[in-house]
Amino acid sequence: MNPFWSMSTGSVRKRSDTEEKTLSGEVRTSPLRASAKKQLPSIPKNAVPITKPASPATSSQSTNGTHASYGPFYLEYSLLAEFTLVVKQKLPGVYVQPSYRSALMWFGVIFIRHGLYQDGVFKFTVYIPDNYPDGDCPRLVFDLPVFHPLVDPLSGELDVKRAFAKWRRNHNHIWQVLMYARRVFYKIDTTSPLNPEAAVLYEKDVQLFKSKVVDSVKLCSSHLFDQPKIEDPYAIIFSPWNPAIHDEAREKMLTQKKKPEDQHCKSMHVSGLSWVKPGSVQPFSKEEKAMPT
Amino acid sequence: MERMSWLSKLTPRAGGQRAPRSASLQPPVTADPETCLMVFKNHWAQVLRILERRGSKPAPDDLSAVRNNTYQMLNLLAEDRPWGDGDRDRSQGDRDMACGPILEFVAAENLLERLLCWHLQGDFTEERKVEQLKLYEMLISQARQPLLRHKPVLTPLLRLLSVCAEPASAPLENSLVLLLNQLCVSVAREPAILELFFHSHTDQGPANLIIFSLLIPFIHHEGARGQQARDALLLIMAMSASNRAVAQSITDNSYFCPVLATGLSALYSSLPRKIEVRGDDWHFLRREDWIGVSSLVLFMNSLEFCNAVIQVAHPLVQKQLVDYVHNGFLVPVMGPALHKTSVEEMIASTAYLDLFLRSVSETALLKTFLRFVLLHRHDNMTILDTLVGRINSNSRLCMVSLSLFRTLLSLNCEDVMLQLVLRYLLPCSHVMLSQKRAVRDLDIYGKTAAKFLSLIPRCCRPESPPPPRDRDEEPPSRARGPGSPGADAPPAPKPSTPSRLSFFMRQASAAPTEAAAPRSPGPPAGSPPWPGPRDEVAELDRNYLEYLRDARHSIDRCAWACRVWSAPYDGEDPRAPGPDPDSPLGRPPGPPTPRTKKRGLPEEGTREAPGGPLGGDEPSAGGSGPDPQDRGTLVNGAHGAAEPGRPEGDVVVKKVRRSPQGEGEGGGGAPNGAARAQPPGWDPLPSVDSLLEELLARVPAEPPGAGVSIETFTEELREIEAEMQNGGVGGAPATPTEPPEPPLSHEEEEAFASFTALPEGDAGTGRAPPRPPDPLAQVVASPPRAVGPPPSQPFTGPFVSVLFGKLENMPHNSLYVNFLLTGLVAQLACYPQPLLRSFLLNTNMVFQPSVKSLLQVLGSVKNKIESFAASQEDFPALLFKAKKYLIARGRLDWAEGPGAAPTLRRPDTLARSRKPSLGELLLRHANSPTRARHAAQLALQGLRDGGLHPLAPPARHGEALRVRNAVYCAVIFSEFLKELAAIAQAHAVTSPFLTE
Repeated sequence: MNPFWSMSTGSVRKRSDTEEKTLSGEVRTSPLRASAKKQLPSIPKNAVPITKPASPATSSQSTNGTHASYGPFYLEYSLLAEFTLVVKQKLPGVYVQPSYRSALMWFGVIFIRHGLYQDGVFKFTVYIPDNYPDGDCPRLVFDLPVFHPLVDPLSGELDVKRAFAKWRRNHNHIWQVLMYARRVFYKIDTTSPLNPEAAVLYEKDVQLFKSKVVDSVKLCSSHLFDQPKIEDPYAIIFSPWNPAIHDEAREKMLTQKKKPEDQHCKSMHVSGLSWVKPGSVQPFSKEEKAMPT
Repeated sequence: MERMSWLSKLTPRAGGQRAPRSASLQPPVTADPETCLMVFKNHWAQVLRILERRGSKPAPDDLSAVRNNTYQMLNLLAEDRPWGDGDRDRSQGDRDMACGPILEFVAAENLLERLLCWHLQGDFTEERKVEQLKLYEMLISQARQPLLRHKPVLTPLLRLLSVCAEPASAPLENSLVLLLNQLCVSVAREPAILELFFHSHTDQGPANLIIFSLLIPFIHHEGARGQQARDALLLIMAMSASNRAVAQSITDNSYFCPVLATGLSALYSSLPRKIEVRGDDWHFLRREDWIGVSSLVLFMNSLEFCNAVIQVAHPLVQKQLVDYVHNGFLVPVMGPALHKTSVEEMIASTAYLDLFLRSVSETALLKTFLRFVLLHRHDNMTILDTLVGRINSNSRLCMVSLSLFRTLLSLNCEDVMLQLVLRYLLPCSHVMLSQKRAVRDLDIYGKTAAKFLSLIPRCCRPESPPPPRDRDEEPPSRARGPGSPGADAPPAPKPSTPSRLSFFMRQASAAPTEAAAPRSPGPPAGSPPWPGPRDEVAELDRNYLEYLRDARHSIDRCAWACRVWSAPYDGEDPRAPGPDPDSPLGRPPGPPTPRTKKRGLPEEGTREAPGGPLGGDEPSAGGSGPDPQDRGTLVNGAHGAAEPGRPEGDVVVKKVRRSPQGEGEGGGGAPNGAARAQPPGWDPLPSVDSLLEELLARVPAEPPGAGVSIETFTEELREIEAEMQNGGVGGAPATPTEPPEPPLSHEEEEAFASFTALPEGDAGTGRAPPRPPDPLAQVVASPPRAVGPPPSQPFTGPFVSVLFGKLENMPHNSLYVNFLLTGLVAQLACYPQPLLRSFLLNTNMVFQPSVKSLLQVLGSVKNKIESFAASQEDFPALLFKAKKYLIARGRLDWAEGPGAAPTLRRPDTLARSRKPSLGELLLRHANSPTRARHAAQLALQGLRDGGLHPLAPPARHGEALRVRNAVYCAVIFSEFLKELAAIAQAHAVTSPFLTE
């Protein structure tokens, strides 16, 4: 990871690198809790309620006929479940965060660490159709149009449809879109491109293509600290490394990694019991610990 | 967290008690050491003159002279301090060895020993013994230098103690215990002294540690004396933790563990056989219920003490004590007690067991209790099976049993869940073969939730869709009072929803505040203005958010707790058990037994009877199992394990007979509990001996060791089988270790291929995110079926079948049974293990025809309610009243909830008032002034509203009961469906970090 900048979202919360497998207790729960707080709130009386777009509430009533009033819960929970699946996938170098205003808009960033696009840091936004999961596939738009055959040079939108011609509930999930977005930077596909120039260059003049990619990566990096395109409390914001703020946070992450158990225990002091030997289905099959002398 | 925090209580008590006294006592002499020594010698000279007057009996004058002089001398000795005590330059070693001038003199003259000898020669009356004990106690507690390490002090002290070993009058015992306590405090400060106690005693015989053996008889005493003794013993226990020699002497040379454990048996025998019941909602013993029952307090003190000992003592002691609790209390006493024939006794013993399980906090002790419940067989049936069967019985016993299972489920214990449910689901024989892989599927679109919600009976749905939820308004039903902090608070929060809770605050008293606090801001302090009745009832239709929040919390908690489990129970791990899936105790394979047993349950008939559930506690409703022959021999049920023919059994039965059924209210000094088992004047050691012998005689009959070896054997066998199936691979993980960061991993490629390239036809099969094919997993998944039990009728276990049976009967159950029942099922549904979750909550799953699903059961309840509603013309009005009542009731409880101290009350006074008036139910709960007032107000309000209490018993009692139960059921059922729907939804969003 580039040590000269750090990534943060609008809120104080951070997500540590998922590749590092173990996450601290606080960081572990925070993404979900953040979204949970957003989606299942009891908004304090005096807080200004940030209302969601009206569309989900109405559209989702179609989801299941019986109790229309529960519709919004289904939609929000489905999206929350999608988010949980993303977390489970642990896609290397891919981070997303649902926006504060709408569960249908997710902010993300992708780090490319190998290949032609090495060192690329591309911010993007995922737009989920409001008739999800029965609508089209989600759209994924890069903040800056990356030079890539499948990325629209003007809008920055990635051609997601080619992989998900038809979005099928139960079968397709948002983590797959993210995985696809990561994949296109490693396996370059030039058929029916959105950016024909890039496609042609890749086929005919790889050297020039490479240098254009390098330029594009540089351009993205130079805009890394820009204000987020969409203003939102949960938008992903980058800032230059500031030891006063970030050293401590980094230290905390690193130390927490060593004892994630302890950390979590504090937040949830409850432990179950088990005397079952792994692999056994007999109660009390675990041997007693050897007696200390 | 600390339900039994003995140590924290202990510290101030041990130290603080002594401090004020020594501070207030003026040092008699403040002169310089030289002078003090002079004075001391002077006193001694006077005493010596009397001591040396041999032969003749000491005159009364002599006695008082010796007494006075000794008093002065010991005060001086207490004030004595080593030379140059203030000199900081001296090395620690020097100072340790130094003694004050008076002490030196005492040692040289062997003064104390000579004094004691003189006393012993004469008529050493109790009064004089007390005097001596008090003197030594003063000396030890106030000494300015360590005295006990000096033999000339220690030897006479020990001699004095050994003289006092005989049981004696209360004042003597008080002084003795006080001195012993003081000695333990000193020893705890300076553990090295303990060695001296041992050494000095090797020459006096095998009884190794006299302080210890003297304290043991007081373990179970009540009042300050017992408390001091237990505190002192606990100090020794704590010392044993770091000193194996001490631990060994406790286990090998003392009766501590057997006395402690069998004392529980003695105390248990004096517990009330019948629990005085107030209110028809009573279902478990809360602290305020038992704090007024002295015999129960006594028992709980001792149980708490066991818990504390296990907490601090050396593992050797721990193990011995735990074994004795199992073999000396649970098996011989608790087992038979749970199998009494009278319903009242069954209710009492079940409630006691529940209380004990909730109170024990040390894992080792809890394990013993659970092992007893899960594996011990009484009359060839495990305790667990017996208890499961009781759920089927009539209302009170059913409720108490449900509470017990609530406690068991809240432990999040793998062994419990395995025995109750999981082992029946493990073979996956309850699902169609093709569905086996769907076990792990998560329903992310809320289809299950929709399904559950669609089961809300038509008659219970709001006429019009509720207006869009106004988020600024908290539903009033969200009454969540902070739980009363009590030693008996259940170990984990009840995964009950606030809404249901608010109806039934008895459960809420268990909800931990700290758990609820961070998530829900809670209603503002000071009661918010309640909306009008019409509004608040309508609010019930809009409380789904609360259910979601609560479900999320419960599942998170449960998932986090279950991370210590050995396996995920996802249909593949662990694999289904081999040919003999059952316990090593030779139990026939699971399915057939419980089935036949279920059929044979006598309750089936009574349960079906209309109006039965609340009809009282007829003995006929008794659980399965108890042998009618027992009735004669076990009068008070103290000692069931002893067969009628066995002599020890007779002895104990006699003892029990001596104690009447009274609640132990007879004054404080009256023999109680241990005192009963150990009548005054008895010789402690022989009696303990006989207890011990009895115990040892029983041990080989119930060998836990043998079971373990069979367990391990079957385990090994199974492992070998598994290895053979895998071609000897030995279970190597199939996933290759990945390089740090391959651009695109192999799995990723495959996964990508699978979701992009899948043919259209496969859509909508309800698959979870595709997993990379794992050849090993497939190998593992299929073969066990081949070796598994013959594909007899799939059976999901007695627990599930009893719960489902009871659920199906919901319209006839009492309100309270339904509260507990639905709470228990919800609790079960919160477990994250895919096997269990899919069984209860995956409505897409296709089960074998013989397996009933939760959905089917609920569907039948829905139909029953709807047909009832159709037959009852005033149903809407009744429903409205029932809702109103339940809300009011919840609020009533809530109003009392926050900060209300557990009231010490004779709870039956108010409830007994026989007013068959409206609001009787309300008044039943009027246990505190506030509550009573509220209740009265509400009852009045009910009058003014012009509505009779919906539940006012009219003339035809049975019919009214039937209607009442059905109407309440309609309310509870609808809420329950919301709760289940919320739980189903929350499962899909459980953080992966909790389950990984």
